[in-house]
Amino acid sequence: MIPGRPEPTTPEYTRKVHVTQGEQHVTDDPGVVMTTVLGSCIAACIRDPQAGIGGMNHFLLPDDGGGRGGDSVRFGAYAMELLINDLLKQGARRDRLEAKIFGGGKLFDGLSDVGASNAEFAERFLRDEGIPIVSSSTGGPSARRVEFWPVSGRVRQRLVAVEQAPQEVRRPATPPPASSSGELELF
Amino acid sequence: MPSASSISVLVVDDQLTMRALVRNGLQQIGFRDTREAADGEEALKLVVAKPVNLIISDFNMPKMDGLALLRAVRAHPPISKTAFIMLTGRADRELVQRAVQFGVNNYLVKPFTVQVLREKIEQVFGQLT
Repeated sequence: MIPGRPEPTTPEYTRKVHVTQGEQHVTDDPGVVMTTVLGSCIAACIRDPQAGIGGMNHFLLPDDGGGRGGDSVRFGAYAMELLINDLLKQGARRDRLEAKIFGGGKLFDGLSDVGASNAEFAERFLRDEGIPIVSSSTGGPSARRVEFWPVSGRVRQRLVAVEQAPQEVRRPATPPPASSSGELELF
Repeated sequence: MPSASSISVLVVDDQLTMRALVRNGLQQIGFRDTREAADGEEALKLVVAKPVNLIISDFNMPKMDGLALLRAVRAHPPISKTAFIMLTGRADRELVQRAVQFGVNNYLVKPFTVQVLREKIEQVFGQLT
């Protein structure tokens, strides 16, 4: 038990952390549940079961055909790297990581299925990096409410009809173009 | 003007996807001799055994991180002049400043385009043909 922190098993001890698009969060606190709502976006829930550390990200990649050097791979690899680096910084070990992935739905009829290409990226990335996917729920016409307990690895998912999904899930913001923004002028 | 095909590059990153992205970008620019390592330790062994003209290295890596690799390279006379570009995230300003103190030649903020990769390399080597 951590001094000053309520015992995690008590019913009043659950701290919700909502992970929105573009964010990631990592913790070793067993009282934390991470929540998110997904349309075509992907949330990767990655944890080291032995160290009891886990985290979630939430990203949407541009639909560019999914080529190896395209924007989607660059943005996706960066989003996954941020989460994995945070896990490693807190003591997780890369060779013990395991993942669950959610989202990638196709909420509206149209020519492009950005959700499918997002899910495909996540699966390919995790396979290439040697991180096993222990469960996943991707695709389909519904939005998803996902709750993830990072220390135990438990996940609860509820499918949500499109018309009941929050506005930001129905029309998620597309990521900004990759640029050199945020740089220091040193050279 | 140096030719990209005459410059050998070692790409160092613990993520296979990121190594593939950088090497793919280098090949698009015209680099032919590109190698890779998954951490600083492996990179140091490779460059000591066979020096390269340029190291492009991530910062966050197991065993030996990018900053430790930079310091080790700069402290090892046969390879101490190797050009070194550090890959960083957006929030790593302090890291960039430390890398500058240790003699980094340039840095690259992820996620980056092939064009930005080219510009950063050209700032070190001059315009590439």
